[in-house]
Amino acid sequence: MVGKRGRVIGRVGPGIVGEVMLPVRGATEAFYAYPAADEVIEVGTPVVVVEFDPPRSVYVARAI
Amino acid sequence: MLWTYLITGAIALVVLLILFRMVWRVAEPNEALIISGLGAHSSAEQINETLGFKIVVGRGTAVLPGFQTVRRLPLDIRATPLTVTCVSSQGIPLHIKGVTAYKVGDDYGSIANAARRFLEQSDEQVMSTIHELFAGHLRAIVGSTTVEEMLHDRETLTTNIRGSLAGDMEKLGLVVDSLQIQEIDDESGYIKNLGRPQAAAVEAAARIAWAERDREATEREQVAGAAKAAAVRQSSIAQAGYQAEVDQANSKASQSGPLAEALARQQVVVAETETAKLNAALAEKQLESSVLKPADAEAYKQRTLANAARDAQIASAEANAREVTLRGEAQARATELNGKAEALAVQAKAMAEAAGIKARAEALATNTDAVVAQQLAEAYPEIVRAAASSFEKVGNMVVLNGAQGIEDTLVKTITMGGSGFALAKQLIDSLSTNGKPPTLEAVPDEAPRP
Repeated sequence: MVGKRGRVIGRVGPGIVGEVMLPVRGATEAFYAYPAADEVIEVGTPVVVVEFDPPRSVYVARAI
Repeated sequence: MLWTYLITGAIALVVLLILFRMVWRVAEPNEALIISGLGAHSSAEQINETLGFKIVVGRGTAVLPGFQTVRRLPLDIRATPLTVTCVSSQGIPLHIKGVTAYKVGDDYGSIANAARRFLEQSDEQVMSTIHELFAGHLRAIVGSTTVEEMLHDRETLTTNIRGSLAGDMEKLGLVVDSLQIQEIDDESGYIKNLGRPQAAAVEAAARIAWAERDREATEREQVAGAAKAAAVRQSSIAQAGYQAEVDQANSKASQSGPLAEALARQQVVVAETETAKLNAALAEKQLESSVLKPADAEAYKQRTLANAARDAQIASAEANAREVTLRGEAQARATELNGKAEALAVQAKAMAEAAGIKARAEALATNTDAVVAQQLAEAYPEIVRAAASSFEKVGNMVVLNGAQGIEDTLVKTITMGGSGFALAKQLIDSLSTNGKPPTLEAVPDEAPRP
């Protein structure tokens, strides 16, 4: 999971639960997302997974 | 023997196939096989920790009957209606209706969680559990949200839902695909009153617009009505005019019989008149051709003949006149020439005589006596003849005095000649003494005079 690129569909930020869409197992699934750093990532921003917290939580950072 | 082997082999194959079919289980795409029992342990690549059972997704696996059990966990979506009575953050009681769509997560952890919690449970039990769970979370969410936020800020609502549900969903191995709030009712009329100012403003604007449009429509209607009345009036006028034309045409049609008769009669009269005119013209033409044309021809003939005769006479007279003129001119010319010739002759003669007289006068002036004598001598025979002529008429002359008498007579006559001579000499002298030469006229007049 780590290193996969995805897209924010629910605002990611400190103190709230965001949501990102990630390509997994030949499909796309929604994962609960938390920011890797203390930043707010708005909807539509491309992100990359830096940490995976099974089963459905990931820590993401801005891609690029 | 061969047949026996073959048949035995075939039977064995069929038996093997049947056994394989009994042992082999295949997972459909929308389900997971949960296998537990002898040797059913999840492989290391599936999950970090070993499970007490085996999860098979999307493929087949052999299940040993009697030693292993297999359960099917559906992974497809399920929907649960939600009906919640709750209180918003402002303390307003609300009735919320919604629907949630959820499914078991596709990863092995979620499948394992879900299998542990929901396997062997009926759909009703699952739905009841999920409903209670979602209802509790929804109450919590609504209790931390104002009505206005719920109505207007969907992002906040979904964020709150996600934050509230995330932990429980992970525990249950479920994924919320969709959570829809369909209806929010309140008994106190808060929502209704919330929108009332806007509704009132909208209604006022609508009424104003309606009134404006009604006024405009009424104006247009009145204008249209006036135009319609004008059109009706025009139409009535036009209809009356057309009716009058129709009546006129009808009356004309009713009169058309007599009128046609009269017209026919008129045409007959006209035709008769034309015939009479043609007859008159015919008679005129006949008279013209029988009388007038011959008379004209005769007159023309006479006139032509008279003209020809007149022209002939004129030509003749002109020829005569021309002849006379020419003759006269010729005569006049001859006469003129004769006259001129005679005049020239007379002139020449006169000039010669004048020259002679002049010479004689000169001679007379210089030697008068000689000239006179010479003249007298020249004329003496004449004188004598003249003197003698006086005796020519004497038939019987009686001379008295005898021969003496005749002599005396002659002497007298000659003497008279001598006296004449003396007289002439005297005259010339007188003239010469006056200093004037003797005139030519005077001399001849005097000279021949005896």
